Amino acid sequence: MPETLTLPNAPKIPLRRYLKQTKDDALVAPATVDAPSTVVVDHPDSVVMPATNDFEKWLNAKPQSVTTINIPAGFSDQTPIKLTGPVDGGGLVHITIGENANVVFQERWTSTGSMLGIAVAIDIAAGATVNWLAYDAFKADTVLLQRTVNMAANTTLNLTVAGFSQNSGASLLTTNLNGDGAEATINVGVLAAGKQHLGYATAVTNFGRKTVGHINQRGVITDKAHLVFNGIGHIVEGARGSDAQQENRVLMLSEHARGDANPILLIDENDVTAGHAASASRVDQRQLYYLMSRGVSAVVAKRMVIRGFLEAGLGEIRDADLKQELFDAIDETLVNADA
Amino acid sequence: MTKLEIKDLHVKVKAEPEHPEILRGINLTINTGEIHALMGPNGNGKSTLAETIMGNPAYLVTQGDILIDGESILDKAVDERARLGLFLGMQYPAEINGVTNAEFIRAAINARRPKDDQIPIMQFIKQLDATMDQLKMPEDMADRYLNQGFSGGEKKRNEILQLMMIKPHFAMLDEIDSGLDIDALRIVAEGVNSMRGKEFGTMIITHYQRLLNYIVPDFVHILKDGEIIETGGAELAKELEKTGYEHLKVGDANA
Repeated sequence: MPETLTLPNAPKIPLRRYLKQTKDDALVAPATVDAPSTVVVDHPDSVVMPATNDFEKWLNAKPQSVTTINIPAGFSDQTPIKLTGPVDGGGLVHITIGENANVVFQERWTSTGSMLGIAVAIDIAAGATVNWLAYDAFKADTVLLQRTVNMAANTTLNLTVAGFSQNSGASLLTTNLNGDGAEATINVGVLAAGKQHLGYATAVTNFGRKTVGHINQRGVITDKAHLVFNGIGHIVEGARGSDAQQENRVLMLSEHARGDANPILLIDENDVTAGHAASASRVDQRQLYYLMSRGVSAVVAKRMVIRGFLEAGLGEIRDADLKQELFDAIDETLVNADA
Repeated sequence: MTKLEIKDLHVKVKAEPEHPEILRGINLTINTGEIHALMGPNGNGKSTLAETIMGNPAYLVTQGDILIDGESILDKAVDERARLGLFLGMQYPAEINGVTNAEFIRAAINARRPKDDQIPIMQFIKQLDATMDQLKMPEDMADRYLNQGFSGGEKKRNEILQLMMIKPHFAMLDEIDSGLDIDALRIVAEGVNSMRGKEFGTMIITHYQRLLNYIVPDFVHILKDGEIIETGGAELAKELEKTGYEHLKVGDANA
């Protein structure tokens, strides 16, 4: 790595320090994909990924498992296409979604390792509607992850990231509203425990006219964990009639838990609407008292408050089994934290 | 029959230890089967009394005791007190996102039952539907998040819904009539009246005689300057409606 690195905008996330570490270099089996036969899945030797800064170059450095997924134009199926990341490594995933397709997609990562790099790029062609769920449950020590979404005109994206990992590291999520009328809702729900040090930078850039970008991040932090939420809404000059909204909230459950919520709005156009809200808070004693005054124990009351808080980030998840899995994970983490 | 006793109760706000006591020696006994009304001017300790009995950690008991059937509950946490039979219909109920009304009420009922004898779901739904019907609450309020976005009147009705589902021994209702229109007031009062019986006692905090036309109390107490200065029957509330509190002074109770 050169002495001076070019890095993406990710305040309070120590990317420079992370990039000094060597990425796990064993070539692992690539991600597996469960999809109808009309969807083309391939594992070529290489694939063109975003490479505009040193962070991206680090992610792209070989050896690297590669997976490409091509969802054809007009594809329409509400059964989720499922991608499962390698059990013991990272990799590159490039997904193209054809015009006017209507897609439900689920990503799941539980990889082990010491230093993983993961890059996922999603190109959405005009008129497509995409419901995306990324379930991150990494068991690795450190993970640097980037998801980049490029959206053409009149596309709709509803993306939920459920962050239930054990690793430290960074998660960058960049959505580019390139075409006019593109609309993205990005929900992020994160549970941080133990000694995790996690940074999220969730950015939406309005390039096209009448584009809508909403970011909603919720994080619960316990033990000695540290969670940073950056929300970056950027409306570029010329993106008239666009809307950028964001909400970043963290809830700290223990004395040594640390949380940061940084809303960043960059507005270079006049004819737009934009807004943000941010908070870093502790469990509301009034809510606990109210719930307990009906006879539920302090432990149950606390879980209800926490679940309600995360619900705002994970509320879009329709898969009942997955939702139950997440709630069980919350309970398990809190039981460990209470012990 | 169950007995709730308040003995020489002195209370301060925990966060303001240098401030004088809000309650200065309250004595009150409520048996199940009785309806008590607690009246008095604003800021004289009525809500503090109810919150302290419930166990709100914001208040500090500096002297005296609170007992249920002769046993002190002062060292018990709010949830234990609730399971012993206390209920507080709050003036400003909290809003909880992500937890539905129905889910919460079921959790509250189940908290009172042994782990191997939780309320069967069908029985619960039937009971909830019937009670909501009685309170003229629209069905979707069961699936809405607890008090989230409820109007003032809806919140009050929801407190009574919880009361009727949980069936406590003692209910303290703190200004349950505020924010209710006249029809809602009647419906809520009918709900409370339907609870009346040998195993249910209540302390109703109100500023208005109007509520007491619907829920006729056995006893009316006037709380002023942190003390109960007068106790009477239902006629006392009617009298106050004409005379106000101004002429009543601390010490009159013993006169």
